[in-house]
Amino acid sequence: MGQITATLSKTMREFLRQKTILFWTIAWPILWVLIGSFSFAGNVPDEVISYIRGSIAISMSVFALMTAGMANLPGNIAQDRERGLLSKLMSMPISPWRDFVGRILALIAFSCLAAILVVSVGYICGARFSYTLIGGWQSIGFLLLIFLASSGIGMLIGTFIKHVHGAIMSGVGIAVVTAAISGVMTPYSSLPLILQQFARIYPVSSANSSITYLLVGKDYVGYNPLTASQTTLTIVISLSLFFAGLIAYSRFCWRKE
Amino acid sequence: MDAISVEDLTKKYGDIGVLKGLNLKIEEGEFYALMGPNGSGKTTLASIIASVKSPTSGKIEIYGRKPEKAKELIGYVPQENFSAPILTGKENLMYFAGLLGYSKKKAETIVNELLNKIGLSEHADKRVSDYSGGMRKRLEVATVLFPGVKIMILDEPTTGLDPSARRKFLSLIREIKEKTTILLITHIGADAELASRVGLIDEGEIIAEDTPEKLKKTSGLKDVINIETTIKSETIANALSKFSEKQKALETDVGYRVYCKDVEKATPNIVRALDAIGCKTTRIETEKPSLEDVFFKLTEKMVREVS
Repeated sequence: MGQITATLSKTMREFLRQKTILFWTIAWPILWVLIGSFSFAGNVPDEVISYIRGSIAISMSVFALMTAGMANLPGNIAQDRERGLLSKLMSMPISPWRDFVGRILALIAFSCLAAILVVSVGYICGARFSYTLIGGWQSIGFLLLIFLASSGIGMLIGTFIKHVHGAIMSGVGIAVVTAAISGVMTPYSSLPLILQQFARIYPVSSANSSITYLLVGKDYVGYNPLTASQTTLTIVISLSLFFAGLIAYSRFCWRKE
Repeated sequence: MDAISVEDLTKKYGDIGVLKGLNLKIEEGEFYALMGPNGSGKTTLASIIASVKSPTSGKIEIYGRKPEKAKELIGYVPQENFSAPILTGKENLMYFAGLLGYSKKKAETIVNELLNKIGLSEHADKRVSDYSGGMRKRLEVATVLFPGVKIMILDEPTTGLDPSARRKFLSLIREIKEKTTILLITHIGADAELASRVGLIDEGEIIAEDTPEKLKKTSGLKDVINIETTIKSETIANALSKFSEKQKALETDVGYRVYCKDVEKATPNIVRALDAIGCKTTRIETEKPSLEDVFFKLTEKMVREVS
């Protein structure tokens, strides 16, 4: 059992046992899948509604990834710092990088679990997808970009907001607000022009649109997010956010006063 | 051989000096208590020795090595409760075993031994949030009992524990002190008395250092009158100060301590003086001076803030 496995196991247990984390990352998106699937059906034909449900399930699984990265990760970092665990770890012969990898792997595992549960509930509620094998793999790639961008933002929050509740609430706030104004929780076509531009720059929203485009169809997105320039922009901003978070975490959280 | 050697250590936060050229040597196997009030620099010193903070200047060696190069020899228990409350006691220790690189099987064996040693075997599978303060502190001390640790740094380990939990905790320390060098950071005189040597720290400097007995002897304090009163006030303190050396009585949680050369002669006069100002006493007794009294004698400051 190495440092990475120990950190992964500890962090995963903490994620799975905290009711607030389970609520915001799993229950809340599932609730919206249920509301979205049955409230907005109206007189829409069954064939269309099943794809709308599909896009809702995708958006909500993206939201689960957002809260995992932006709220759970900084909450976990701030909690360990607040209760003196980071001081304790700094006094031990261990590597900050392995601690980081352990935390990120736990977050990936937990995010995957949350996303699978949300999509499964969507599927039970009638969500349908239309995809190719390549489209499926590409979607996994975009999910990874969402994960990188969200956890980058999460590491920045966890590094600079010292208190646990402050870090969690900031993360939840950023996730909810940005999801609402960037087309993750609302249709892209209903956004004002300035927010449409934000939706294309914000990598989480752009990647969400790409996944919807690949798994549900172009009619449910509002623009083509898979152009070379748009995809490059999404990749570059996602990686930039992740590395900015990583540098902040390793420099400031593990820095000796 | 010196386990810990600190020479001319300073630590500044901006313009404020927390440690001011501090020197300290602790021999291998020694149990050293560093006692001082809040803000005296004792926790800063412990954090620097444990590689958690950097000094502004000065030299520190752990068995002749820089602290960062000797981390495997040091077990640091910070003041805060760092164990994860949502995990069980055993899961917490398994986490630390994993960090130290033990295989799962070996970790299981060592962790079970440690749980037994600290008397938490029966509570191993309970979440730490269900532990009492004393149980949690014992669990955290267990994180520095893994093989290989030669120096234990315990920062205020008994703070917040009730008398029974403190007794249990200190008996655990007594058991383990035989094999390891211990640096105990405390503001409680009774805890410091367990040590083979005590350093009194004030304003970033060690002002006195010796065995507890010699510190008390060289302080010149004889007996102390311990007075428990129903109320505490400035009038009472002033009345008692007239009988005390240096014209100052020490306020405690339950009353006052008065230092005088002739206790037998002073006691009836103190009772009369307190009666005269209408102060009711619940108990007056003569005690031997404590390390807290020695600190008060040297600095005219209290080690602990009274409630």
